[in-house]
Amino acid sequence: MQGDIKIENFSVTRGKFRLKNINLKIKSGEIFAVLGRTGAGKTVLLESIIGMYAGKTGQILINGKMVEGIAIVDRKIGFVYQDYQLFPHMKVYDNITYGLKMHKKSKKEQSEQAENLMQLLGISYIKDQYPCTLSGGECQRVALARTLALNPSILLLDEPFSALDPATKQKMYQEILNIHEKFHCTIVFVTHDFKEAQLLSNRVGILLNGELKTIVNSNELLTSSYEQDVEEFLGRK
Amino acid sequence: MKEKRDIFSMITIMIALLVILFIGSAICAIIIGGFPNLLDAFSSKEIRFAFGLSISTSCISTIVVMVLALPTAYALTRTNMPLKKAAGVIIELTLSLPFILLGLSLLILFSTNAGKMLKDIGFKVIFSPIGIIMAHILVNLPYAIRLIRTAMEEVDVRLEFIAQSLGASKFKSFLTILLPMCKHSLISTTILTWSRALGEFGATLMLVGITRFKTETLPGSIYLSISTGNNSMAMATATIMLIISAVTIAVSNYINHSKQLNRGDR
Ligand SMILES: Nc1ncnc2c1ncn2[C@@H]1O[C@H](COP(=O)(O)OP(=O)(O)OP(=O)(O)O)[C@@H](O)[C@H]1O
Ligand SMILES: [Mg+2]
Repeated sequence: MQGDIKIENFSVTRGKFRLKNINLKIKSGEIFAVLGRTGAGKTVLLESIIGMYAGKTGQILINGKMVEGIAIVDRKIGFVYQDYQLFPHMKVYDNITYGLKMHKKSKKEQSEQAENLMQLLGISYIKDQYPCTLSGGECQRVALARTLALNPSILLLDEPFSALDPATKQKMYQEILNIHEKFHCTIVFVTHDFKEAQLLSNRVGILLNGELKTIVNSNELLTSSYEQDVEEFLGRK
Repeated sequence: MKEKRDIFSMITIMIALLVILFIGSAICAIIIGGFPNLLDAFSSKEIRFAFGLSISTSCISTIVVMVLALPTAYALTRTNMPLKKAAGVIIELTLSLPFILLGLSLLILFSTNAGKMLKDIGFKVIFSPIGIIMAHILVNLPYAIRLIRTAMEEVDVRLEFIAQSLGASKFKSFLTILLPMCKHSLISTTILTWSRALGEFGATLMLVGITRFKTETLPGSIYLSISTGNNSMAMATATIMLIISAVTIAVSNYINHSKQLNRGDR
């Protein structure tokens, strides 16, 4: 099955920080939210899924195969970083078509695909601009479009809504759900917002100090009872 | 209301003016001494030869240095090559040595049996123009690697990772992401390497000496003029080098400028 993630006893150390003994299964097509304080290791967790720290303790399986055994491009994982990581020396259009170019798609195919995505995300008007001239929200859509151009089966979104005003946020929620519908991909996204996690995801994982404390169905997030530290994190003491 | 006087900026301007005065007077000394003899220098066959030799050896050595420095800097910043730290140290160790000593070490190296074998198969280094290029390379390589390495370290590796996740090979992501992002530094490294090669004297002197119409570069010819008491000819030759410098700077500014334009409104 495409888009299946399995993390088994995975640990990784980054400087003073340690992501400890993570066990997590995310089914194909699921939307999974990762909650946690700043510095809890959410970004490191996403980077682990895409295979940046593979070969350390434990293992990460994508569609049942060890992630480090799959060529990066064949993992079919799209990653939208917190700070977007757009290619600064390329125009928006070239950012979006980069993957298609690398896959040697024809010019026509590139432009059709890019036009579709820019239309979908409402960014056609900035196609000739350089990333340094864009607003945070625009950067994010470009990063999303760049990833979606290759039809990833897993989409990793690091705080995709944090740079947006409330109204745009609402619109983006819908867009993400549309994208999920349209591309049938597994989505793992990071957020600080409980409501957002509940609204969008099937399940929520709470990461505290590098440990995945709990995984719950999102409709039970605010009603279940937890260990002391999770309760504190949820603001319930 | 008038803005309050910005003392900090004033001080920096004063210091900058002092620096310009200092460097400028050295340049003036050269031009004043050299200008009257400039025509003589231009018409001297010997100096025309030195000019040609200097330009050609500098160009060749710069190309070789860049071709070697780029992959080395990549290996040092982007791969898990063994002994990476030690390699970095070894490469930079020579930066503080006087060039004359680097030339001497090359002389010793190429005087060994292995060096003599190279000579027998036609790769003559000592007392030949190839030696000039070798001297330039040894002097400039560590310097170029240092500059390129710093530039590469400043590019976020995550960009290349993203490129690879979008289907680029390591080589493709090097070509399409890392190289263009270091373009500015690469251009200035090339220009600096070239200028340093043009002015290099100590290592060349040690390895190939200065033989008229054979291994005489512009700095070598300046040295010969000075040692025969012909200071005005030395100054004239130096003026020619200044003109070359001016052209180089103009060209590099032009390249950087045209790049700025197609980069959009930065
Ligand atoms: N390359 C690194 N070197 C040293 N420490 C690192 C490195 N990468 C991450 N860390 C540390 O790991 C910890 C977790 O980082 P991470 O970026 O995953 O946090 P986060 O949960 O995403 O936080 P935020 O919500 O602020 O984005 C931090 O304390 C960070 O300093
Ligand atoms: Mg983060």
